[in-house]
Amino acid sequence: MTPAASASIVIDRVSLRRGSRLVFADLSVSFCERRVGLLGDNGAGKSSFLRLINGLLLPDSGEVRVDGLVTAQARRDLPRKVGFVFQNPDHQIVFPTVLEEIAFGFRECGLRRDDANDRARDVLRRFGCYDWIDAAVHELSEGQKQRLCILAIVSMEPDILVLDEPFSSLDLPTRLDLMDLLMSLPQRLVIASHELELLSLMDRVIWLSGGAIVGDGAADQIISSYRETARNARKHTAVAQ
Amino acid sequence: MISGHLAHRTWLHAVPARLKLIGLAALTCISFWIDDPRLLGLGFAIVLVNYLCLGREARGRLKLLSSLVPIFAVIGLFQFWSVGGEAAAAILLRLCLMILLADLVSMTTPMLDMMDAIEPLLRPLSIFGLDAMRLSVAVALVIRFVPALMEEWMRRNEAWRARTGRRASVRLLPAFLGGVVTLADRVAEALDARGFGRGRKL
Ligand SMILES: Nc1ncnc2c1ncn2[C@@H]1O[C@H](COP(=O)(O)OP(=O)(O)O)[C@@H](O)[C@H]1O
Ligand SMILES: [Mg+2]
Repeated sequence: MTPAASASIVIDRVSLRRGSRLVFADLSVSFCERRVGLLGDNGAGKSSFLRLINGLLLPDSGEVRVDGLVTAQARRDLPRKVGFVFQNPDHQIVFPTVLEEIAFGFRECGLRRDDANDRARDVLRRFGCYDWIDAAVHELSEGQKQRLCILAIVSMEPDILVLDEPFSSLDLPTRLDLMDLLMSLPQRLVIASHELELLSLMDRVIWLSGGAIVGDGAADQIISSYRETARNARKHTAVAQ
Repeated sequence: MISGHLAHRTWLHAVPARLKLIGLAALTCISFWIDDPRLLGLGFAIVLVNYLCLGREARGRLKLLSSLVPIFAVIGLFQFWSVGGEAAAAILLRLCLMILLADLVSMTTPMLDMMDAIEPLLRPLSIFGLDAMRLSVAVALVIRFVPALMEEWMRRNEAWRARTGRRASVRLLPAFLGGVVTLADRVAEALDARGFGRGRKL
């Protein structure tokens, strides 16, 4: 396998139906940059795109390959390779206490209870969250919950981290804080976001609209044409009214 | 699914998970065996007193139960018609008792502890090719769903009141049931994303 094939995400002529809706029709794109952003209006297909990468959704036709693994055949191995951070922490967190949420991943890997708890404590210590160790999850702020979600996934040391609008309900200081955290991680990133500041840090940005790619390239360039389009769309509605 | 865990430690936190689960199972069985609403009422009162003793956060959770009143009213009415007043009272009290007991356990027990306690009991099932670890997650989740569902109902209740100013109505029920399905779906997806149960059978 060539190095390019071994570290790349390839969406190959993918069609995806969700419910009665055809979300993607014959979509193809591939990327191997360290950090990739996904941009697009609500309903454009960003979340569906990310779910394809982690194998949460499988294409109805075509193929998704992650570092050479075909998602339809390697569903079982994918989560260890591709960590998925959900848009809403309340949807991701399964356990009632902080320590368990992180320890669960280690238990899944077959560690015994005490070892798993030790590893979870390590993670919390390493990322400066040791104070939360005995906290109930519902006591945490939104930003703290999102950080917990990221840590729970990062602690499994996946190669790729996929995040779906990770900052959608956070205040500015918390966003900046989490942005620093994300940029400091060794993982490759694929992030869907409306946060232009975050997207501008990406090596490449893909712009989706109605399930199709309408822009793809350097962050600054794509962001400015997205901005332009959004502004024009507003002008049209203003005229229509 | 983020919901009720008592952050402040109570004596129930200190009781081993296995003991609590056995207690829960035993009391649930006993409550099915008792038909006298007075006895069930007594049990209900004892559990209530327990809630009151566990501090403010626990007392606050009783509000969740009171928000279920319209649902109880429907069940009660239906039962009253079909089996009469005394039996209807017994059924309602039994239901409240079971909800509160399950809530007490799930509020004071970390879920991993619960799984550890359940797993050995399920291990014999492995002769049928079932995976005890995976089943124990399922059972622990069911117990954890009780408070989560109560909170789900409470949220809808609040939204309804904020918009209508009226008490909750049975009309919220279909939306609530839809919400339950969504909640279950999300938990399943969250576990799936982390590789739980992929390519393996339960
Ligand atoms: N669970 C679902 N069932 C059916 N259709 C869905 C589901 N989730 C999303 N869709 C549809 O798929 C399309 C893309 O949605 P999504 O990937 O969530 O977009 P985005 O994340 O960019 O907002 C939308 O038209 C949406 O209505
Ligand atoms: Mg989305």
